[in-house]
Amino acid sequence: MIWPRYAKFSSENLEVAERLISVYEGSIGKKKKILKAFVGDLEDTGFDYHFVRGLALLLDRRSVFRCRDNFDSVDLRRKIFEATGKVGPATTAEKRKQVIGNVALEFKIPVEVVEEFLYADLDGELVMVEFDPPSPRELLEKYNLSLTQTLLFESTELRFRASANWQRIFFMVKRLGLIYDAYVDGGFWVKLDGPSSLFKLTRRYGTAMAKLLPAVIANEDWTVEAKIVWRYTNEICDFRIESRKHRELFGFKQLLTSYDSSVEQDFASRFEALGSEWHLRREPEPVMAGKKVIIPDFSFERGKIKLYMEVVGFWTVDYLLRKMEKLKSVNVSMLVAVDENLACERVANLGRRPQLNIIYYRNKIPLVPIIRYLQESFKEVRSEQEEFLRSLSIKFTEPFVLFDQFASRIGVSVEAVRAVLNEKTPSGYIALPNGLIRKDTLEKIEKRIDARLDSAGKLTLPEAARIAEKEGVEVTSALEALGYKIVWHGIMSEKAEVIKPQN
Amino acid sequence: MVRLWFDKGTLLLRGAMGTPYGKWDLRVGCYRIKALNYRDVLAYLKESGVSFEDYVQQLPPSESFMSSVELRGYQSEALSRWRRAGMRGVLVLPTAAGKTYIALKAISLLRVQTLIVVPTLDLLDQWRTRVRECLGVEAGVVGGGECSVRMVTVATYDSAFLRAEVLGNNFIFIVFDEVHHLASPSYMQIAEMYIAPYRMGLTATYERIDERHELLPRLVGDPVYSVDVADLTGKHLSAYSYEKVYVDLAPDDQRVYDREMAVFRNYLREKRVVLRSARDFQRFIMMTGRDRGAREALLARNRALKIALNSEEKINALARQLQAHKDEKTLIFTLHNDLVYAISRRFLIPAITYQTPKEERREILECFRRGEYRVIVTSQVLDEGIDVPDASVGYILSGTGSTREYIQRLGRLLRKVKGKRARLVEIVSKETVEVRMSNRRGRNETGGKSKGAAK
Repeated sequence: MIWPRYAKFSSENLEVAERLISVYEGSIGKKKKILKAFVGDLEDTGFDYHFVRGLALLLDRRSVFRCRDNFDSVDLRRKIFEATGKVGPATTAEKRKQVIGNVALEFKIPVEVVEEFLYADLDGELVMVEFDPPSPRELLEKYNLSLTQTLLFESTELRFRASANWQRIFFMVKRLGLIYDAYVDGGFWVKLDGPSSLFKLTRRYGTAMAKLLPAVIANEDWTVEAKIVWRYTNEICDFRIESRKHRELFGFKQLLTSYDSSVEQDFASRFEALGSEWHLRREPEPVMAGKKVIIPDFSFERGKIKLYMEVVGFWTVDYLLRKMEKLKSVNVSMLVAVDENLACERVANLGRRPQLNIIYYRNKIPLVPIIRYLQESFKEVRSEQEEFLRSLSIKFTEPFVLFDQFASRIGVSVEAVRAVLNEKTPSGYIALPNGLIRKDTLEKIEKRIDARLDSAGKLTLPEAARIAEKEGVEVTSALEALGYKIVWHGIMSEKAEVIKPQN
Repeated sequence: MVRLWFDKGTLLLRGAMGTPYGKWDLRVGCYRIKALNYRDVLAYLKESGVSFEDYVQQLPPSESFMSSVELRGYQSEALSRWRRAGMRGVLVLPTAAGKTYIALKAISLLRVQTLIVVPTLDLLDQWRTRVRECLGVEAGVVGGGECSVRMVTVATYDSAFLRAEVLGNNFIFIVFDEVHHLASPSYMQIAEMYIAPYRMGLTATYERIDERHELLPRLVGDPVYSVDVADLTGKHLSAYSYEKVYVDLAPDDQRVYDREMAVFRNYLREKRVVLRSARDFQRFIMMTGRDRGAREALLARNRALKIALNSEEKINALARQLQAHKDEKTLIFTLHNDLVYAISRRFLIPAITYQTPKEERREILECFRRGEYRVIVTSQVLDEGIDVPDASVGYILSGTGSTREYIQRLGRLLRKVKGKRARLVEIVSKETVEVRMSNRRGRNETGGKSKGAAK
């Protein structure tokens, strides 16, 4: 295991950060070398110099240094070197004075200014003109991120899982020239290395993996693992960070769901406004298709049923066919929303291909065909499930069975359970809208309630509930099955009365 | 059908066939082969009599050369040895022996797309000029912010490394100037990720302290020709002398020096730290990250060394030398940039460091060549490469103590010009660790000194 010396948010560290930030803030208008001397002093006076130097480097990136005025030092030097080129190096004080004096005359500036500007363009002579101060905590977070990235420079492979942001992650993986290998192991994992990694361990792709890191950890939930070659001993070490324990170190804000296009955003808001039973999710977990990975734009979930949709930008017929081929191999239901305006070929070229679940749109993705598709898929799945349920010989012993509990136990939808059990009610049971009740239990409850009604002339709902629940039955279901009514006096259930219908 | 593709610095073999040079890549489901083995795989496929399609090469358009390169005897010999070795191999020749011309001759004979890889931006410029002069074509350049690929292209090691994924299949011939750099763990990937079947390495200093030069035969080919300074001195290289000038530290400096060194030595003694090799020292540097005492000892040593290396007395000694030899074309070498600028300010002479703007650097070197400037002060950036035939005096004010650095700095002065006699002068602070550093770099040089030098 290898573990960087992350900066904790201790008061001591926050103070160092704050001190450095204020040194930088106070350096506007001053030379870089003066700033660097300050930082150097801080490094050498009792602080961990790696830490101080690291923070300073991050602050450098938030600073802008410029050459004072717009004086052309290169031109000044040229004149001076031309002079010594003729008379030889200024080996004596007089000779030096003479050369400088002549050049000062030529530029019409005082001698001191010549001395001052001779090397005013060197790095240390530059002057700070701008500084964008972070908060001390933010600086420590950036420091921790940058420590991690520095470590990843030395990595030979990277593995991670993340809860979202997949499109951006895979886009970067491709652009950075990395090769991925995806697998499912208690979550969707991606292993990364590069073409040459096949031949030997190489740090060549370390920089690319470090660049990818922010996209992975800007997520709610993630784990990152890497193999690091420790430079000094050439040992291979494991490195692992996970959001659960280490999110704090980097202080990444979770990214808000961002949309690639207004078309997608518009679709999501219209779909959600429908209030359908389908749960719409943006950028769901990728789907494995052999060695390849498919990253859908949306998923629609209802119970155990999961369908996907991809919104396609520019396309050709060939592209769509290849996509469908890929999808067929994994047996995933995917809708493809295709923009007619962005077709690189005439839509007519596609002809009628029933196996393609294509939805055409202009400007707006239409809801109607999507809802219809969802309902059909749902019906299809439901009829399969009903078929399955009918094939079982279901026997119960409990006095009362709730459909949704039973459905989730077998892994089918409530609707399928309700339909099948209504149609094929097991003997000895009565079907209710939300479950099954055993006949003998129901009779027992009826007797008790009637007895109370006869003796007291009146029965409140809580009293009835006590009777039903003693038999393990939910009271309203029982009353409904018996055909009894509840008369409410106000909203308090204590005052509600159970009435037996008069036949 | 078997097909061969280039994929980001490697080759992919698609089709129902394997190869002893490749490895099955589960991630993509086909054979993957190092680009280095392009030549071998082609030979294997041909030998096997399989019909295959080769989609590997992606070459820039051909241009025709005019060749005006004439080689000296030993240069021709070197070239023909390389050709006999199957157009692979390393040529070891002293700086100033005209390695560039051998490579240019090879390019003009092969007439294929060629990449020349060099360590510095100055060398990049220099090769570009040579290509224009000797081959009559404009060279492509990759590095220093430019990126144009042409029939003959010059690239820095850094750019060739970073862009191997896209440039790897652009060239048939690759020349590694200062090929000892190629053996480093990252740069060796250039050799592995480029397909070029023809390869030539050039260097004056083949061996590396870390022994990694033993990797070069696999990457470029065996050393096929070698000649040293002594063999060429007088006839092809200029004669030279080597001297040391010792200076005292100023009394104040000496006091501070002794005090700081004592802090360092006491720490080592107390903690029983022995620093005998570069490795020991590296371990010590790592200690300074954790141990405050070690860090303070290191800082004390650095302050002491700075005094020894940058002493005022050295600059005074340099002034006397410059005064006495003011008509000679002179290079002044130091270890640190601070000293470069101190000397530049004091004597008002041009300076070149890694901070010098590219245009100014080009201009300074050009003026130096033309003789308008006669003295340049520089840190390590000019150790390799730059080529000014009539530079005749070199002053070493400070260095690292490596033999390679010494040979390279000497090399700047050795180009043969009629009547020239080169002088390399080292200015060393007496009674400091610098004496030992100076002796270390001179150690392997004695051969050249006895034959080539009068002193």
